Amino acid sequence: MRQTHDSSVPETIPEKSGNGFWALAWLRFRDDRVGVVSIIFVAAFFIIVFLSALGAVASDWNKEVGIHDAPPDLWGLLTPVPPPEAMGNAAQRVAQTIKTAQHGEALLPSTVVDPLAETLAQLQGERMEGAFPESRVVDPLAETLRELGAEGMVLSAVEEKNAAKRTSLPFGGDRWGRDVLTKTIKGSQISITVGLSAALLATLLGTLLGALAGYYGGRTDDVLNWAYSVFNAIPYLLLILAVAAVLQQRGVMTVILILGLTGWTGVFRLIRAEYLKHRGREYVQAARAFGVPDRRILFLHILPNVSHVALVKVSLLAVGFIKAEVILSFLGFGVAVDEVSWGSMLNDAYQELILGRWWELAAAGGAMALFVTVFSLLTDAMRDALDPKIRETS
Amino acid sequence: MTTSANTAKLTLFSVEQLSVAFRRRWQAPFLAVRELTFTIHEDETVALVGESGSGKSVTALAMMGLLPKDSADIPEVSRIVYQGCDLLRYTDEERRRLRGTDMAMIFQEPMTSLNPVFTIGYQIAEVLRLHKGMSAVASKARCIELLDEVGLPEPRRALARYPSQLSGGQQQRAMIAMALACTPRLLIADEPTTALDVTVQKQIVELLKTLKARHRMSILFISHDLALVGELADRIVVMRHGEMREEGSADQIFSSPQNRYTQALLQCRPQLGDVPSRLPVIDDFMVEATPRQTPAAFGGTPFEKGAKRKQGEGKAPPLLEVDRLRKSFFKREGLWRRYEIPAVKEASFTLRRGETLGIVGESGSGKTTLGLTLLRLHQATGGAVHFDGQNILSLSEEAFMTYRRRMQIVFQNPYASLNPRFTVGQSLIEPILLHKMASGRKAATSLAFDWLHRVGLDRDAFDKYPHEFSGGQRQRVALARALAVEPELLICDEPVSALDVSVQAQILNLLKDLQGQLGVSYLFISHDLAVVRYLCDAVMVMRDGEVVEINDVDSLYRHPQSVYTQQLLAAVPRGRGQPA
Amino acid sequence: MTAYIIRRLLQMIPTMLGVVLLLFVLFNWVGGDPAYILAGKVFSEAQIANIRYQLGIDRPAYVQIGIFLKQIITADFGASWSTQEPVSDILKTRLGPSLTVLLPLLVLGTLLAIALSLVVARFRRSLTDRMVMIACTVGMSISILVYIIIFQYVFAYRLAWFPIQGWSDSLWTNLTTFAALPILIGLCVGLAPDLRLFRSFMLDEVEQDYVRTARAKGLTEKRILWIHVLRNASIPIVTYVMAALPGLLVGALLIERFFSIPGIGREVLLAVERSDFPVIKAITVYVAIATMFANLAADLIYKAVDPRVELK
Repeated sequence: MRQTHDSSVPETIPEKSGNGFWALAWLRFRDDRVGVVSIIFVAAFFIIVFLSALGAVASDWNKEVGIHDAPPDLWGLLTPVPPPEAMGNAAQRVAQTIKTAQHGEALLPSTVVDPLAETLAQLQGERMEGAFPESRVVDPLAETLRELGAEGMVLSAVEEKNAAKRTSLPFGGDRWGRDVLTKTIKGSQISITVGLSAALLATLLGTLLGALAGYYGGRTDDVLNWAYSVFNAIPYLLLILAVAAVLQQRGVMTVILILGLTGWTGVFRLIRAEYLKHRGREYVQAARAFGVPDRRILFLHILPNVSHVALVKVSLLAVGFIKAEVILSFLGFGVAVDEVSWGSMLNDAYQELILGRWWELAAAGGAMALFVTVFSLLTDAMRDALDPKIRETS
Repeated sequence: MTTSANTAKLTLFSVEQLSVAFRRRWQAPFLAVRELTFTIHEDETVALVGESGSGKSVTALAMMGLLPKDSADIPEVSRIVYQGCDLLRYTDEERRRLRGTDMAMIFQEPMTSLNPVFTIGYQIAEVLRLHKGMSAVASKARCIELLDEVGLPEPRRALARYPSQLSGGQQQRAMIAMALACTPRLLIADEPTTALDVTVQKQIVELLKTLKARHRMSILFISHDLALVGELADRIVVMRHGEMREEGSADQIFSSPQNRYTQALLQCRPQLGDVPSRLPVIDDFMVEATPRQTPAAFGGTPFEKGAKRKQGEGKAPPLLEVDRLRKSFFKREGLWRRYEIPAVKEASFTLRRGETLGIVGESGSGKTTLGLTLLRLHQATGGAVHFDGQNILSLSEEAFMTYRRRMQIVFQNPYASLNPRFTVGQSLIEPILLHKMASGRKAATSLAFDWLHRVGLDRDAFDKYPHEFSGGQRQRVALARALAVEPELLICDEPVSALDVSVQAQILNLLKDLQGQLGVSYLFISHDLAVVRYLCDAVMVMRDGEVVEINDVDSLYRHPQSVYTQQLLAAVPRGRGQPA
Repeated sequence: MTAYIIRRLLQMIPTMLGVVLLLFVLFNWVGGDPAYILAGKVFSEAQIANIRYQLGIDRPAYVQIGIFLKQIITADFGASWSTQEPVSDILKTRLGPSLTVLLPLLVLGTLLAIALSLVVARFRRSLTDRMVMIACTVGMSISILVYIIIFQYVFAYRLAWFPIQGWSDSLWTNLTTFAALPILIGLCVGLAPDLRLFRSFMLDEVEQDYVRTARAKGLTEKRILWIHVLRNASIPIVTYVMAALPGLLVGALLIERFFSIPGIGREVLLAVERSDFPVIKAITVYVAIATMFANLAADLIYKAVDPRVELK
């Protein structure tokens, strides 16, 4: 019964369009300077990730190329200032800290004069316990190892061979003398891969289930909604921690599966709502009036109309999953001991910061912040170009 | 062109050389209004009339000072003069003080124009407290007075109601009460009745007339409907593409329109009285008009009288026989109870081959549900539908498939009825292949081209997407898509309600032409009695899911039996100088 | 209304059963035999059999689910596998510290985000708006871990404005001393996403027809934003905050861990690290129940603030 609105501005479509939705979206996107800059950065990250995955760069991230805690020099731009404590002491200090924690003695290196020393020592002790994957209760060797002070021994042993190692590295070195730069590249590869793969998995799952629930309604909808409400009743972080607790296995694949299989609910709700909306649209009614089979309507008629929603959701999810992976790996439930990600780097970095070594924190935190920022800006631009109505929650 | 009757009156508002340009991406600014000049005198109703995109609403917003600052530009030469001052030179704060006190505005959609989370009383009192500094008690008393004046039943209780608890007509009354709160000198009404049913529209128009007389205020009434405007306007300004086409007293516009566009607007619209066999379209009046869209193949000169409908002569066999069809929706209430909301109650009627049955009703009458239920897009609750002798409600989905080809539908909203991600070609070819109207893609493509031609579209439409077409063109595509499977019955669900008057005429003519060529039967669902009269052989009137009256078209319009039909007919705006 | 609440409560039952089923599958089948985890490093087959008997995991699945349900209803999940403390005691004592940090954080954070989003909404689509949004994006891109590490290092360790960690028995001391830095961090981490979200709520409302009406009435921009827009935008905001509530309880686990606050979140982490299944199960179940009630409360509040909603 409605007359068309007297719209003040007609649809702005450039001359000579003759294109579909995506081409128009691209035109709008191209107009967004922030979007264009961010896509360049994201592409650069993806190239690095790709090269790293192929083994072209950072394949030797685990090699100890520098001295322990080698300071950063940024290829000579920065004059490396060695930390106040003697370089060589690092390993012993770590070993000592562990011992301190074990025996409950508040023995801090004399260089640090701090009224809060006692608390600090406690803090470090706790950190160590939680941080080293070996120290977890499930590992039968952990206790023995610790008793022997093996870590300290291993470190000292390594140190003896280190005479010829570099005294400074572009981004500095970690506690074992590994190059923070290559470590960051490898960590970026793992974290980004995990985030994107898990987001893809969750979106595929959520889209499929959401399409079925939204289009068919009735019993199908009831059952899928029930599954949704079950998953939704458990806070997300708790759910992935519970799954991580039962899965004793650690590693990239495990994290992808945990995140992907538990994270589909948001997509489900969104896509279900979209299908519900489109099911009532006249073009779907028209297709039904022709007797077009359901499968065709579901995936050929409606899916292209909601695919941009799914696309935006993938990138929103990817950001969320990258953050989740970082937390999981930091806590030791994420990537395996012999893998590196931004999360495990932050764990190393946390312990190093208290000893004054800030560079691994800066490298891992900075790389993550940069990537997530440009990726989010890209997502924003993409959403503006596709459909500004898509929400970031849920 | 000013008439002598107005010379005695004082000028209240004068708009001089108003232009409004909207900045946009990629393109030169869009000129929504170009050098528009007109005046509103005291105690006068001026109507701005035009189709969509004519700039009439933009003009109103410019007068109110409500145009978005960041995208709309008004050049220096433009002036909007009120009480000797140019409002365009005012500061934002000065203009704000005028709004609600000296000038007020009501809008097309009362539902969304009222704030949903505040009561009616609060929203009206807000104006009084702000502009008049009234106390809570005083403003409440005044609110009741106002609500009473605009004819809201039980004004005391209505104060505490939220907008969602009122009907559309009541919401618009509340909006009017709010606008009148400070007794403004000018009331701008932007399509205030377009979203309302025709009987409610009549009431609102009557209300505006009464209020205007009582308060001696001026009204700027904006509408696309010339006939409606004729009911209350003293003077009429006709606009097209942002420009004024004609200005004159209402009597003069209706009796001797000077401009060809005004003539076209008056003629394109089907009237209740005189039924031509073809409607004139805008091209018949305008040389400069939009590109020609009706190909020569469909000839038929306008005003071709005499081709009277072939009634009576040997009744055609029935195609569709509907017997006590029922459709209900179910809603939950309380713990377990489900209660039934009947949308269609026992509808029975017959449609003969090659004929057109109109289904008329206001919103909520169940006419659209009826159409969808016939096609089994909704599941019927009871009754029988015989199509060509076969009860189609009892068929399995597979067996019904052949009937899906034989019965088709065209929807109201041309923006939603085509899949936005399909090209026109894809939209056409899918049903052609599905129902094996052509063997192979190549044959299907050429058939699709054929149909595009028949509905008056160019070949290059084939590769375009729906958003590249106007509403009328999209409706042509939808028509081609439905007809390409050669149905025997086409259900047209308000196919022209979303279109401008001039485009309506084109589509209605096309429907008529195609029926003549194909012998297809139409079930024409509409709220518009004039359109139905033009197109249909028989008419069924529905109200609240019930069939009120069913008769052949001439009898129904000449001698309506039921009171409701009489009300409906009486509510249709007639403009001036046009007898019922 | 009553009928609505009763129906919603009834609807919780299948959801709860689903949660139970999910947890059961997770802990009994996906994760392997719990008996081996409980037995530790040194065990004999007899010990394993004994543990399995005690846990009841040698019995058919439906009996075990029955036991699980009984545990939920009686709120008796037995003792923690690692500390032998009764699980119910653990939950009771950990809730207080969590709430001490979370409630002030939630109230302050929400109010701050609402106020700022209204300010930003006023400058919508301007350069300021765009800059603030980009700043928010950058702020959201930094890991919460980095915030905690740096804040703790700078404000507690280096500047010593706050204690590095700790907790006391006095609510006041906790609020003013130990919870101060955690709350500050929580505010910094939460502000950017909340601001972005609330701004989008506000902008949705700003574009509505009723805002145009309010302007036509001659209301000031300030009144339009703070009364008309805010009242409407509060509907999605309330829904969002209520829905986020139970998640927060667990979500603050990193803060609780770094600052040694004996709350629910830290307990979850400890339990996960020690494979202390009864504690994880109990926390999950109760948080799930809390979530469902929070959702119900959110819908009821929704009804209270939005007259259009009819609960049927």
